[in-house]
Amino acid sequence: MPVSKTELKTRIIEALNLQDITPEQIEDEAPLFGTGLGLDSIDALELVVMLEKHYGIIIKGIEEGGPAFRSVQALADFIDARRASTT
Amino acid sequence: MARHPVITGLGVIASPGCGVNTIWDAVTNHRDGLKPLTLFPSPRHGADQVGEVQLDLLNLGAPRNASRGDRLGWLAAREAIQSAGITAEHFGDRAGIVFGCSVGGSFDSERFLIQLIKEGKFRPRPTRFHECHSTADLIADSFGLYGPSMTISTACSSSALAIAAAAEMIQAGEADVMLTGGADSLARMTWGGFHALLLVDGQGCRPFDAHRGGMSLGEGAGVLVLEAEETALRRGAKILARLSGWGASCDAHHVTAPHPEGAGALAAMRAALRRAGLNAAQIDYVNAHGTGTRDNDLAESKALKSLFGERVPPFSSSKRFFGHSLAASGAIEAVVCVEALRHQQMPANPGFKEIDPAIGLTPVLQTTAAKLTHVMSNSFGFGGNNAVLIFSTPEAGQRPRAATLAPVNITSIGLVGPGGVAAVETTAPLAVAKLSAHSCNPLPGADKLSPNQRRRLGRIHQMAILAARASHAPAPEQRVAVALGTGLGCLAEGAAFIENYVAKDEAEPMPSRFPGSVHNAPAGQIAMDLGARALNSAPTAGSITFECALWQARRQLEADEADVALAGTVDELQNYLLVIGKRWGVWTEKTLPGEGAVVARLSTGATTTDPVARVTALRLGRFRRPFDAAREVEWIAESVELSTIDLLVTGAGGWPVLEPSYAAVAREIFRHAGRTIAQETYKAACGEFYSASGFGFVAAVQAAVGRRLRVLLYTLSPRGGKALCVVEPAAAL
Repeated sequence: MPVSKTELKTRIIEALNLQDITPEQIEDEAPLFGTGLGLDSIDALELVVMLEKHYGIIIKGIEEGGPAFRSVQALADFIDARRASTT
Repeated sequence: MARHPVITGLGVIASPGCGVNTIWDAVTNHRDGLKPLTLFPSPRHGADQVGEVQLDLLNLGAPRNASRGDRLGWLAAREAIQSAGITAEHFGDRAGIVFGCSVGGSFDSERFLIQLIKEGKFRPRPTRFHECHSTADLIADSFGLYGPSMTISTACSSSALAIAAAAEMIQAGEADVMLTGGADSLARMTWGGFHALLLVDGQGCRPFDAHRGGMSLGEGAGVLVLEAEETALRRGAKILARLSGWGASCDAHHVTAPHPEGAGALAAMRAALRRAGLNAAQIDYVNAHGTGTRDNDLAESKALKSLFGERVPPFSSSKRFFGHSLAASGAIEAVVCVEALRHQQMPANPGFKEIDPAIGLTPVLQTTAAKLTHVMSNSFGFGGNNAVLIFSTPEAGQRPRAATLAPVNITSIGLVGPGGVAAVETTAPLAVAKLSAHSCNPLPGADKLSPNQRRRLGRIHQMAILAARASHAPAPEQRVAVALGTGLGCLAEGAAFIENYVAKDEAEPMPSRFPGSVHNAPAGQIAMDLGARALNSAPTAGSITFECALWQARRQLEADEADVALAGTVDELQNYLLVIGKRWGVWTEKTLPGEGAVVARLSTGATTTDPVARVTALRLGRFRRPFDAAREVEWIAESVELSTIDLLVTGAGGWPVLEPSYAAVAREIFRHAGRTIAQETYKAACGEFYSASGFGFVAAVQAAVGRRLRVLLYTLSPRGGKALCVVEPAAAL
C-alpha cells in the first residue's frame, strides 16, 4: 500500500517543528528545500531520522537520500520503492 | 617597546601516545592512532575508527579530582612546562593561561545522566567539572598561574583562537608567559552528535581523497608555552619557534556547513598573513584543517587555490594520525607545525589515495624533508568559525604586527534581562520541583525573529540575537567582530540531545540540537543574523566571562581587524542547573539563579560618532587562596588610580562563598583611596549566574553616562578568576 502523503506531511511538520504550517499548505510537488519551505541541510538530517523512526528506512549518507528530499511526492515515491525492495 | 610571542615549550597527548617525541615519531613514521572505540559502549557505531587515548591517565600522573578532559589538558601542560624549563619563580601574576575547550567535562557529566535516566538515581557528583573552563582553572591552580586566565570555546577552532588570544596577551604586556592550547576528551555528546550529522567515516577519515566519507573523532590535548621574546632571552630559554601571525574570521553562513567557496577560510588566512607581514608566496607548508568531510576539504581547497593561485604550497592534514580532537586539534597541530619547523620535515597526509577532480590538489604523501621557514596551520569550526596561525623559525626574525592600545568607546548596549522572579518548574527525567529564579520567559521581542529562528533555535540563541540586534544595526562594508561569552553554554539543547541519546541507546538522534549545543552557537547565530564576518569567539571563564569577551572584542579593534566589535555574554536557566545547584546549596532563598544576554557595541574613535561611555582599564587575573585583600587591591591599583574612582560596582550579593572577599576588597580599597567610595551591586535585579557581570557592566555604563561617574567594576569568580574594568563618560570628566 502506498504511503499516505497527508501522513507524511504531518510527520515532516512534526520533525521540523514547522509551527505555522498545516499539511494542506504543503504541495506534493513543491520543493522542500531552498526556496520552498526554506529548509536546509540540518532539516534534511531531521528527515533522515524521521524516515527511520516512522518508516524503518535507514539512510547512511546524505547523498543517498538527496533526490528523495526534493518534494513530498519524491519522498513518498522513495519510501514506496524502499519498502517494495525489502519485501 | 614591542613584545613578540615566541614558543619555548610544547606538550601533547593524543591517540598515538603521550609526549612530543612519541607523537612526532608516530607522525614521521605514518603510524596513526585510530582503533575501534573502547571508552564507552556504542551499539550503533562501536566498530568505527576513532582516535581514543587508550592510556591510563592517572598512572601517567594526572590529577584524580578532575574530568577526563581536564586530565588530558593537565598532562600536556606538565610536559610543556617541563620542556620550557620554567619554574615557579617565573610564574605568579605575570603568567596566565588561555585554553581552548569545547567538550568540557561532558564525558563525566554523562555518567550522571545515565544513572538518572537508566536507574532513576540522582547523583550529580560527576558534573562538578562540567564547565569548559575547568581545565584552565585546574592547570592555573596546579602550576601557580595568577595572570590572565580564560577559555575559548569555538568548537574545532577553539585552541587556535586561544593561541591567538594568548599571543595578544603577551603583545599587550599583560603577561610574560602564557600557557596556551587546548584539550577535549571523547564524549557521547560529540560521538552521537557527529554521527547524527552523518559526518563520520567509520573506516577512518581520508582527507582530500576522492572517496573521502567524513571525519574520524579523536581526543587529546596540546599545550604551548608562549613567552615574550625578551623574557625568554633573559632567562636563556631555547626558542623553538615564533608565532608570527594569526587571523580569524566567520563565514556567517551556516551552523555546520562551511561557506562553499571557502570565503571565511580565505579571509582568516589573509588576516594571519597580514598580522605576520608576510605574503602568500612566503608560506612553505600548510597544515590543513582537512577533516575528511566532503564539504570541508572541498571548501578549504578552494580557499587555498584562491590564496595561493597556481602555486599552492605543500600541504597535509594530520587528522588521520589523531582523529579530529575538536577543541584540541588546533593545538595538537600547532605542536606538529613547530616540530616540522624544528626538524625541517613536512608530515604526510595519511588516508589519501586518489586525487579528487573537484579538488585537483595532492597533499604531501610521505614525510618529506624541506626548507621550512614559515608554516601555516588552519582550524575551522562549527558556525563557520575560522582561525589560522603562522609559525616561523626562530632565525626568520618574523615578528607580528603590534596593536596600538587605545581607549575603547561603547556606543550602545543591548540586553535581554529577567523580567522578575518567577517559579520555574522542572520536568522529567528529574522529579518535578518548583524553584524560584530570575527568568526571561516569555522572551520579549521573540516575535521579531524569523520563522526559521523561531522554529529551530533554543532560547539562549534567541536571547543572544535579540540583545545583539538591540546593540547594533548592520551597515554594509563594516567589519564586525563578535565575542559573545557564555558561562555554561547552551544547556537546554545539550541536555535535550544527550537525554535522547541515552534514553534511546543512540537511535533516533536529534541532528539539529547538536550544533545548537556548542558554546559558540549563539555567537555564530549573531554573526549570521547581522552579517558579522570578522572574529567570532565564545570565551568562557565563570563569573568573569563578560570581561573576557570585552577583552577579546577590544583587541580586534586595536589590531584594526574590525570596525565594530560586539562584546557580550549569555546564559540560560535549565532544569539540571536548578536542581543540582539546589542540591549543592548554590541556590538559596537569597541567591536565586538568573539568565539573560548583554551585548555592548564597541568601536574605536575613528569610526564612532556618538560614544556613550569609554572603557579605560580592563584587566584579568586569578586570585590566590586564602584570599588576600591587600594583595588584590595592590593588583587593582597597578591599573587604576583608586582616588579618582567615584563608584564601585561589585558582584557582591550573589554566591555567599564570595561575600567575605568582596567585603574585604571594598574595605581595603577605601583604605587605599583614603576615603569611602559609593558602592552598588546588581545581582538583586538579575540573579546570580556566570553572565551576571554583563549586567554589572550595564549598571556601570548607566552610572557613567547618567551620573557622569568614573566607575570601577570588580568581579570575582568562584573558580578563581578576577577582573577589573573602569568605565568613564565618553567626554572627559
